[in-house]
Amino acid sequence: MQAIRVEALTKTFRVRRKEKGMRGSIKAILRPQTEEIRAVHGVSFGVEEGEMLAFIGPNGAGKSTTIKMLTGILYPDGGRVEVLGIDPTKKRRQLAYQIGTVFGQKEQLWTHLTPYDNFRFFGAIYDIPDEEMEHRIGELAERFELHEFINTPVRNLSLGQRIRCEIVASLIHRPKVLFLDEPTIGLDPVVKEQIRNLIRQMNREYNTTIFLTSHDVGDIEKLCKRIIIVNDGQIVLDDSMEHLKYHYLHKKIVEVKMQEETALPQVAGITVLKQKGSHARLEVDTGAVEIGDALRQINVENMEDINISNVPLENIIMEIYRAKDRQQVKAAIAPVG
Amino acid sequence: MLTAVKNQTRVCLLSLKYNIMREMVNKVTFLMNIIFMMLNNACILIQWFILFRLREEIGGYTMREIMMLWGLTAASFGLSHILFARVFSLPELIVSGKLDSYLVQPKNVLLGVLTSATAVSAIGDFLYGVALLLFCGLAVGGFLLALLLIVTGTVILTAFALLFGSLAFWFVRVEILGNQMVMGIVSFATYPDGIFQGISRFLLYFIIPVGMAVYHPVHILAEFDAGRLFTVLGYACLLSTAAVAVFYRGLRRYSSSSLMEARM
Amino acid sequence: MNRYENSAVSNAGDIAKRRFLGQLRRGHGIPGRKYGVIYRSVLMENLQYVANMALGFFGYFVFIYIFIKLWEYMYRTPEELIAGYSKEQMIWYVMMTEMMWFGSNASAVGWQVKTDIRGGNIAYLMNKPYHYTLYILAKYTGEWSIRLPMYAGLAVVIGTVMVGAIPGFRLITVPAMALCIMFGLTINAVFKICIGLLSFWIEDATPFQWLYDKLILVVGTIFPIEIFPGALQPFFKLTPIYTVCYGPAKLIVDFQPAKCVEILAAQAVYLAAGCGLMFFVYRKGVKKLYVNGG
Repeated sequence: MQAIRVEALTKTFRVRRKEKGMRGSIKAILRPQTEEIRAVHGVSFGVEEGEMLAFIGPNGAGKSTTIKMLTGILYPDGGRVEVLGIDPTKKRRQLAYQIGTVFGQKEQLWTHLTPYDNFRFFGAIYDIPDEEMEHRIGELAERFELHEFINTPVRNLSLGQRIRCEIVASLIHRPKVLFLDEPTIGLDPVVKEQIRNLIRQMNREYNTTIFLTSHDVGDIEKLCKRIIIVNDGQIVLDDSMEHLKYHYLHKKIVEVKMQEETALPQVAGITVLKQKGSHARLEVDTGAVEIGDALRQINVENMEDINISNVPLENIIMEIYRAKDRQQVKAAIAPVG
Repeated sequence: MLTAVKNQTRVCLLSLKYNIMREMVNKVTFLMNIIFMMLNNACILIQWFILFRLREEIGGYTMREIMMLWGLTAASFGLSHILFARVFSLPELIVSGKLDSYLVQPKNVLLGVLTSATAVSAIGDFLYGVALLLFCGLAVGGFLLALLLIVTGTVILTAFALLFGSLAFWFVRVEILGNQMVMGIVSFATYPDGIFQGISRFLLYFIIPVGMAVYHPVHILAEFDAGRLFTVLGYACLLSTAAVAVFYRGLRRYSSSSLMEARM
Repeated sequence: MNRYENSAVSNAGDIAKRRFLGQLRRGHGIPGRKYGVIYRSVLMENLQYVANMALGFFGYFVFIYIFIKLWEYMYRTPEELIAGYSKEQMIWYVMMTEMMWFGSNASAVGWQVKTDIRGGNIAYLMNKPYHYTLYILAKYTGEWSIRLPMYAGLAVVIGTVMVGAIPGFRLITVPAMALCIMFGLTINAVFKICIGLLSFWIEDATPFQWLYDKLILVVGTIFPIEIFPGALQPFFKLTPIYTVCYGPAKLIVDFQPAKCVEILAAQAVYLAAGCGLMFFVYRKGVKKLYVNGG
């Protein structure tokens, strides 16, 4: 069964528009004009049970709006949403028992209480009986190594410990789908890694479906097998991470260090990104020139060191964000040949 | 159905308990807030001792009725701020989109929001109010009646704040207005209704609900009147039903095609 | 229960600010929109200021209205004198003390000091090339010198329409009254700062602010002190009430040159003593901060 099914989802916001100047303000009061902004426009996708999906896009692309519609906070204007077979618009409360949400910037824990007390509160919200609750807290604490600080007030915890508790708190009712909105925002690399491990572990042990939004490429790369990119309220890419990284990618970065400064080849398909003394960084478009041919252009005798790498995922994503529509996205990442 | 109510009550009580625990983190501050608020309220009695030196009754009230008036007002105001303190800052939650976290919980949104904060000093108000009513020399039945009237007063005050606060779903800038209205109620509710005549009397009884929340109850305590009691009970039901309806109407707007500026 | 505390007003400002930042973030990328948002929020802030003002006026009006009704009830005949005051004088007295209360919004000072100290901001402020307490005082004076004239205007309108002119009022005495009011508000602020400075030692000094406010309110604001039993009056003359609210208001409703000199002298003494206390408490507090490292 699919955990999430979305068809032609649409949400339009109206924004008040006002001309500049005092006259504009007065006019806006007398005859308010509104401008429509299509936050989400015709989005369709499905997520399998147990899948880990990265749902990304630039700021204002419609990610949060989509999550809000999936969790029943916002009602769509058009299209259909089904999460675990439930329509969030009609049965928000029923759905709430089965999903979990973590909004990175918003804290849901009571900071003066211990994680233990907090978990008890969430247990009450999800109608979990006391003994069952004890059992679950014990299990989660063990699995996610919370023992050290489970009885320390949340305000005395480090940011990383706090976020870990935030996430564990949203697992108390064993949700089948977990929505994570920017879970690692503002965390240091070590803590980020811990959080990623926690998410991965959760997915593995409980088969929880993960719906993740993040601006952190590391989160996306390390956690998700599938990626959906939205821009201007539309899906511009829906593919596996594998494809995106290796198949679609037709650009290589070649870094060379020569013994002495030499002229670089002037061939179509090779762009000099940077040259400083005997160091050079080239971008090779393998669509236009084969990598072997490109390398042959470089004087091997004179070479001290060479490094060939893929364009970082971050750059690929940036490229996609910049593209205006699906066609351009395809062009930007078109397969070799 | 019954289990749902039981579970909901459990969550609300736990919420209240945790709110108070939060305030008790610093015990000295906690106690000082409560005790000083009681003293603070008690200071006002000086005003009435002075006024009653000038005349024996004011607006039909003697010192005893003034104590009932203050007792009911302080206790209702206190109880409302202990149980439902968040209603008084509801517009802020609405405007800054903070209702989202209540919407993803499988519990009643309104109760979740209202019980999510407690004002500690309100405990002082409540205790002061109840103490004052004890000093009025009411019989046991009278005191029980007073407790009922505290509840109706709390309901009316909370519902009124909810009604005004919910307007923030439509108009962003109602926050200050709502607070001023609540403070207006409290100001009027600490003076005898007998000094107001004509239009102001009409306003106090029918538009801003001071009459229903406090004046009628004082008269009921002074001299039992079933008609007045039913009026108050009926009004409390009516106002809270209306307030809840407006809130949910607004919540639908919050969830459907609201203006973007009020969200995200 | 306390009277208008201005937390509500600042909240609304916060909302505006948050929304502004949110919009700025969202407006990112759409050319020109950013400036529209900035413009709008500035305009809104000003409108907000006016709206807050108007609602504050509403609160003032409610109080005055209640007191007019109360004193109309208390005076059986128009000629009656209570504690030496005619009905008009009595109402004008309350109008003036409440005008000072609303127009000065003194709770903001205590709140500011408390927030600076408890929030740790004090560590930066105390190393600046000025004295923290005087900085707060100056900032606050700037605030009330805009608010107070507006409330004064309102008071004059309400008073002349609903009560009638003050008997025997002479325009020539206004400068002396203004001076007294200015001193009164400053002395009040100095005491509020002193209480706020207690935050160096205790977590929350607000309850002390309540009691101080209530003392000012009950003894000096809603009645003139002549109304209290004779035995208490010499005692009241020694409290800040005499210089903070009773003095200025008394001069407005019943001006006497000798009284004016007496009040100004008392205010000078109070101001000196209050400032001495304020500096003393501040120094002690800072020392404590250095010892304990905040």
